[in-house]
Parts: sequence; C-alpha cells; structure tokens
Amino acid sequence: MIELTIDGKKIAAEKGTTILEAARQNGIKIPNLCFDKRLKPYGGCRMCVVEIEGGRKLASACGHPVKAGMVIHTNSPKVRRVRQSVLEFLLVHHPLDCPECDKAGECALQDLVFEYGKPETRFAGEKKHAPPDVRGPLIELISNRCILCGKCVRICAQHQGRGALGIIGRGFPSVVQPAFGEILECDYCGQCIDICPTGALISKPYKYKARPWFLEEKENICPFCGVGCTLTLGIREGKILRARGKEGVGITDGNLCGRGRFGFDNIYTEKRLKTPLIKQGDEFRQASWEEALTYISKVLQAIRKANGPDVIGAIGSPRCTAEDNYMLRKFMESAVGSKNIDSSEALGYANALKTYNLSFGIKNNPAALTSPLGKDVVFVLESDLSITHPVFGLNILQAKREGSHLIVADYRKTKLTKHSDAWLNLKPGTLVALLNGIMKVIVDRGLFNRENISKIEGFSSLEKMLNEYTPDKVSGIAGVSGEALIEAAETFAKAPKRLLTMSLSASENTKGLSSALSAANLLILLGEEPSSLQILAEYCNTSGMLEAGIMPLEDAKGVMDMLYNPGSLRALYIMGEDPIVNMPNTRRIIETLKSLEFLVVQDIAMTETAALANVILPASSWAEKNGSFLNSEGRRQEIYKVVDATGESMPDWQILRNLGLMIGSNLGAKSFEDLSKEVKNYLSQKSEETKKDIKLTFHPTHYRPEEISDKEFTYTMVTRDVLQHSGIMSTRSEALRLVQAEPFLEINEKDAERHGISDGYHIKITSRRGSVYLKAKVTDAVPEGVVSTPVHFSSGMINELTHISPNTCSRLDAVKIENVQNI
Amino acid sequence: MFNETVLKEIDEIKGRYPDFRSALLPALYVAQREFGWLSHEAMSYVARTLNLPEAMVRGTASFYSMFKHKEAGRHLIQLCTNVSCMILGAERLVDFLRTKYGMEPDNTTQDGRFSLVIMECIGACGTAPAMLVNTDFYDNLTEGKIEEILDKYK
Repeated sequence: MIELTIDGKKIAAEKGTTILEAARQNGIKIPNLCFDKRLKPYGGCRMCVVEIEGGRKLASACGHPVKAGMVIHTNSPKVRRVRQSVLEFLLVHHPLDCPECDKAGECALQDLVFEYGKPETRFAGEKKHAPPDVRGPLIELISNRCILCGKCVRICAQHQGRGALGIIGRGFPSVVQPAFGEILECDYCGQCIDICPTGALISKPYKYKARPWFLEEKENICPFCGVGCTLTLGIREGKILRARGKEGVGITDGNLCGRGRFGFDNIYTEKRLKTPLIKQGDEFRQASWEEALTYISKVLQAIRKANGPDVIGAIGSPRCTAEDNYMLRKFMESAVGSKNIDSSEALGYANALKTYNLSFGIKNNPAALTSPLGKDVVFVLESDLSITHPVFGLNILQAKREGSHLIVADYRKTKLTKHSDAWLNLKPGTLVALLNGIMKVIVDRGLFNRENISKIEGFSSLEKMLNEYTPDKVSGIAGVSGEALIEAAETFAKAPKRLLTMSLSASENTKGLSSALSAANLLILLGEEPSSLQILAEYCNTSGMLEAGIMPLEDAKGVMDMLYNPGSLRALYIMGEDPIVNMPNTRRIIETLKSLEFLVVQDIAMTETAALANVILPASSWAEKNGSFLNSEGRRQEIYKVVDATGESMPDWQILRNLGLMIGSNLGAKSFEDLSKEVKNYLSQKSEETKKDIKLTFHPTHYRPEEISDKEFTYTMVTRDVLQHSGIMSTRSEALRLVQAEPFLEINEKDAERHGISDGYHIKITSRRGSVYLKAKVTDAVPEGVVSTPVHFSSGMINELTHISPNTCSRLDAVKIENVQNI
Repeated sequence: MFNETVLKEIDEIKGRYPDFRSALLPALYVAQREFGWLSHEAMSYVARTLNLPEAMVRGTASFYSMFKHKEAGRHLIQLCTNVSCMILGAERLVDFLRTKYGMEPDNTTQDGRFSLVIMECIGACGTAPAMLVNTDFYDNLTEGKIEEILDKYK
C-alpha cells in the first residue's frame, strides 16, 4: 500500500491506482466528464486536474498513478480556475438547449457548470447545427450537444466488445457516429445513453416523456434473464417511463442490456389481461373473480371426485416469483392433492440440476457471475452467452481483456467467437463428440492424474467409450480439425485455473442433458471442483421456481405427460407459461391441450395457449407485485410493487390462495409478509439440505444424433435466442419490437444464392412435423447447410417444426427450405 | 480485396505489435497504396483483417489528413502554397493547373489522370515553389516547367 495525502486527509492506496480512483475509494469527489471505472484512463476532458505539491504543472487525476508521500489538492483556487476555463471552452460549442434536453437536471455538464461556471465567456465560437440522427430505433444521436469525451465510443468498444460508434473526423467537425454515418445498428444495450455526460445520446422511447426532477426512481430486479441486474425505474404518475443502470446499484453494478433497459414496457401491451375470462362457445366473456374462481373450483373438484387428483396437473413459470411458484405447488399438493407439477425448464435448466446430481452428487451448483474473472482458460460450450445472459457475457469479455485465454465452441459467428483466442467451429449439436474427443486427447497424453482419477466410479467405462473418439473420428463428426481439437485439449488441460460455461434452455436445441454430462466428465477428469462448471439458468426466476419445488417427483407426471401425451390429464393449470409458442412440437402440445376437459391459464397477457383455455385469469406483472427472484447464482433478490396493478389483475400467489379457499383448503398466507417469511424459511431449509459432500461419478455419454439431414430434409435447423428478446414476454415490448418484431430465418450466403434467396424473401420451411413461413436473413454468421431461427415470436410458430426429446445431446431438426417469394 | 502477398505483408505487420489495434495505421497505409484511396469497402476490409470495429478504423483514418477518402486520380500532385512558395508564385501555379488541366484542389480531373492536393510545407523553401507528383519531388517550378513535368505522367 502507498500512503499519500489528498486534501489534508491521509489515505492509503494500492500501487498502480490512479489519483482519481484513490480519491473515489476514500469518498473524495474529483469532478470529471470522461472517466468511467469500467474504462481505461483517457484524460480527454481535463476536468479532473489536481495540484500535486512539488509538481511543475497540474496533473489529470484519472491517468496519474499515486506515489508515496504525494500531497494533492483537488479543490485549490488554481485547480478551480482551470476547471472553470475548461468548462468555458466546452460551452463555446455546447448549445444551451437545456430547456428541451432530456438530460437537463441530471446532466454532468450542467451540474459542473452550475458549480464552476462563470456568467460571461471570453470566446465566441461556432456551434454545430446538425439535425439529430433519429434514424435508429431506440437511440438518438444529437451531435450538437456532444463534448467528444469519447465515453460512448469507449464503452461500446472496450466494455461491450461491439465498437458500433467512432469519433469520426478531426477537430471541431468531429462527430460521434457509426463508422460510415449509417443508421446505428448495434446491440441496443443503451449503455452509451447512461454513460453520456450530456444529452448527446438519448433514449428515443423516453424522449420528451418527463423532466428528470418529476421522476420518482425506484429499484427493481429485471424480469428477463437469469443474471438479475437491478433496474432503476423512472416512474411518473404511476407509469414506468424508463429504466437505467446506476453505478454501485445491484449485483451487476449498473450494467444493463437492452432488454432490461427498454423492455419493461411489455407490461403496457394492449394484450394485457384485465379481468377473468370464461370461455362460452368459441368466445371469451368477462367474468368477476368470484364467478371465475367458483367455476374453476367446482370443475376441479368434480374432476377430482370422478377420476382422482392424479389427472390434474400444473405448469409453473420461471417468470413468476418464488412466492408464486411456491404457492402453486402448495395449491396442487394441499388443495388439489396432486404432485403433477413441472415447467418448461424440464427441457432446460432441470438438466443442469440432473447433471450436478448425477456427476457430482450434489443437488445444486449455483453459478457465480464473476466466475470467468481470473481464470487462465474460459471455455464456452456452444452457447451464445452474450445473447442469453448479456451482462454475464460482459464478464467473459472482461476476463479475456484481463488475459484469460478464451476458447469458444460454436457453430456460428458470435460476439464471443469474434473475441476468442480459439474458435472451434463445430457442426451444431456435436458438442458431446467434441468434448469426448478432448477427453480422449487428455487421456492418451496423460494430461490428468490417473492415479486419483481412475478410482472414480465410471472411469473404466469412460475410458472404454473414449476409444471411439479419436481426433480423426471427432473431426469427421464435428468438423473441427484434429489439430485444433488437440490444441484446445492441451490448453485446457494444462491451465492452472479453468472454467467451462454454457446455457441450457428450452429455446435452444443444440444441447441437452448429455452435453452437460460430458462437460462434467471433462472437469472430473481434470480433478476440478463443480464450481468450474457454470451453467446459467435462463430466466429471471428459473432457479427460484425450481427451488420452490416446481418439478415432478419421481412417480408424478412431468411435461412429457402433461403436454405431450394426450389423455394423460383431464385438467391442467398453467401459470405464466405459453407452451404452444415456447416449447417444442406445437402440434403435439395443442393436441394434448385439446384432449383436456379443463384448462386454466393464468398469465399477464393473452397468449396462444390462453386462447385454448376454459378460464383465463389475469395476473399482475413483475412491477405490480412484491416477491422474490432467484438468479442464476441462486441469489434471492426481492422485487417490489412499484406501479398499480393493471385492471383487476392480482399477484399469482394471491389468486392461488383464493382459489384454495374456494376449494376449501386454507393455504395460509394471509398477507404477503406471511408468505414471504414462509418461503424464505423453506428456501433456507432447502439450501441446508443441498450442502452435501461431493460424490464424483463419470457418466459416459455417446454422441447420438436424433435427427440428421437427408436427401429430402437437407438443412439442419437451430433454434436460439436473439439479443433483444428473452422468452416471449419481451416480444410484447413496443420498444424491443422496434428492433426485432418478427421472426426470421438466418441462412448462409451460398445456400441463399443456390435457392435464389435475398434478404427479406419469404421462405417456406418444412420439417417432418410441419411447415412455417419466415423471412430470410442472408448472413455469413451461420455455416452452409445450417439455418437458424429464434423461437420467441408467436407470429412465427417455429415450434410447429420442432420435436421433443428430453435426454439427448441435441434436439436439432432436419428441414427443407423453399423460396416462395414469387409464388 | 488484398492479394496473397499483401495479406502476408499485413500478417507481418500484425506480428510486430502486442495487439492488432497498433497495426491499424500501417495497415491503412498498405490499403491506400493498394487501392489508391480508402473507400468504405477498403476500411471495412481492414477492419475485418485486423478484427477491429469498423468505427475504430474509420475514426482513425478520418483523423489523419494524409489518408485519402475520395477516389484519387492515377497521379497525385501535391503542391505547396506556404509562405515561401506563395511569395514565389505558387498561387499562380494553382491557377495554371486549374485553367490548363482542369484541376481543382482536393479534386480529380475528369479523365482520372490527376488529383491535386494543396500541401503544407514540404521543406523546399530554398528552392520554392515546389511540389510532389506521386513520390517524385520537383522544385523551382514555373508554368513551363510544370507542363514539361506533367507530360511524363499519362
């Protein structure tokens, strides 16, 4: 530690710390316009100048490292004079359009001028008079207000790994814009809006909506992915107008992606359900809560009486709170008497839990968002984590910047492959073969501790199985060269600190239980702890839902029965899920749902599944109720009611409690506080149970493709997430729809040429299960022979094409495509 | 796009620095040499070759005045009009180039033969006025001498 004095206060700082950081760490504020702790020092604005005793001239605090014995004055008259001049220069060019600027009131430049400025200026200079660039969907660039601090350019390139903006030109005419002045097409994370010290970059959906001083800011957890960032919501007159990230707030320290920043408006969709609806003939009619709940309780009781409780099932939701899901399980167990409870995560994260159990003998292995940092090798397994978990993706990029070796196995070009040291460009769905190949190299070259590892159960069968996975053979299956495979195996095996990371979700069809088991095998082989396997749960409360017990017990029915086996159930209660759009094999699901006597759907908005229901119940959205989400780390974070409920909607738990009372079962939970306490106890008991000793077992898994392309179905179809969307909830956000409102089919340039397809052409795509029509997106991101599409959109119905298979290495579908543009 | 030899040259440039960003200026020189000027396509191509964002490449290229952002003629004339050259009649020479050859500063002649750039001092004050044609240096210029010189550049 180095000792120094700032403004008369003796402080200590680590070697290599800058004066500005040292001051910040000790609560001393040094004004600045171009500093951000996520970025490299820039020294552009000169506002942070300080006086160092014995120094010849003033030093900029952001770029100057501390030295022992330094005596620094951050607010001396000399320093203040210089800052005043800096601002005087800035105001020569900066327009004084504060009256109509969204930023006024929370503008760093305005605040500093208020503090340091002087009334008259000695200079007359040009102002810019460019019209604002309003062409992009979500972000507006107003170059007239730009002070060229470069923060937006740097956060985009350095931190987000994107580099969509540049400072183009030199001197006064320089302007922040995309490379060639084209429309800003980027990740739309909006980090540049938060970081801009003036009103030069603003959020279009929020433009002219409210003066900042009229906004009430409330924090809430983001309702989209499993990272669990904190949104700082700006609310006026009971309506959420914006979301932003604030440094120091939340587990991701104010970092947000575009979904969180812009997607909150999904709660204002016109599809919101406002009253209970009962189906009469082919139409729904509005009903009162009393009528709807009485009706449901009567029918459920009648079905139970006639056929027993085992023909009634329920589907929980990774979008609903832990309390909601807990109450659903309690409702099913106590009021209905059935254990048939499951969720879409049966095809996703539940496979991760199975893997932890089978391979490590533990119930859970929560991820850690900062796990990539400080690892020598980070190996990403066929997962586009920068899209599924954007802010976790930032940590991978940060690890790479700090020197980690990044290996990415993926069939397509992604942001992570762009930043990787090695891209194993495998064929989709061949991850299991690739991992087996890597293990084979490790075993053959003795890159593991044979003496210890060979004692682990299953080692001999693993070793035997690996004989089939020589580099040559794996190369043939996965399309990765033998040399690349061997190099990756050696790098990974020899690294002192290493990490495997992936996502598992129902919307991705390239991975499955086998993929996670193979990953675990590789780590056990190398003598690693379970924590070096980081599988990220997909949604905001995937972990909380599973912890609350939404999974079938051994003898109970799971989704395979409830949604894919017509006649298995007579009544189904679906809470906050739209399986018809969100889960594979739509036709089979529709067939199964239609075979039911009674279907209740409880959701915040009208869905394809709800349209088949006998009764639809309106639930309150995440911003309209109290509760808690457990993120990928298993961290419990509370969410709050920040705006009033829409229409007559109620929190899911409350609906279920009331329905329980109707059926004659008191489920407790007189108030939310009661329930919250009960759930907290339940969860902490559960986490005690999970603290078990690790028992390692190898579960050798073969690469067994289910459906491969043939003469008729020549393409392999991959389903995946897009950056702007998370499940189907985000597709109801007007703001996010401005970026991506409809589904598309990515197709390689060469394939497109063969079919005479151009961007935007209509394509008919057919699998063995059905056909859908999509617009083409011609790209070099996917390889030849592979087409890729997101599943989020109910207008696409991609899952008409897909099939289900819960325990395999992938669920890829073979498809054929036809150009139907001119038919 | 770059041919094999040029790609090798760029690989060699990349090898000189700890990160590709440092190779940006030399790579842009190569691109300008190969294509004559820096078109958007050329800059995109450099971005891809160095795995850098296009905005960074364009931002850097637009900062330096010796990168050309407009299509240039077959031959580049860089004429100095700083003090010494100006006193000795450089401005008249600009007029001469304008009337005789149809050249305009920062523009290219219609036949694509010449591009004219007015340069800052090229260090030939003792023998002013002076100019560069491509990389060839000429001084003590007169109208007649310019005519003679430019005849060599078809």
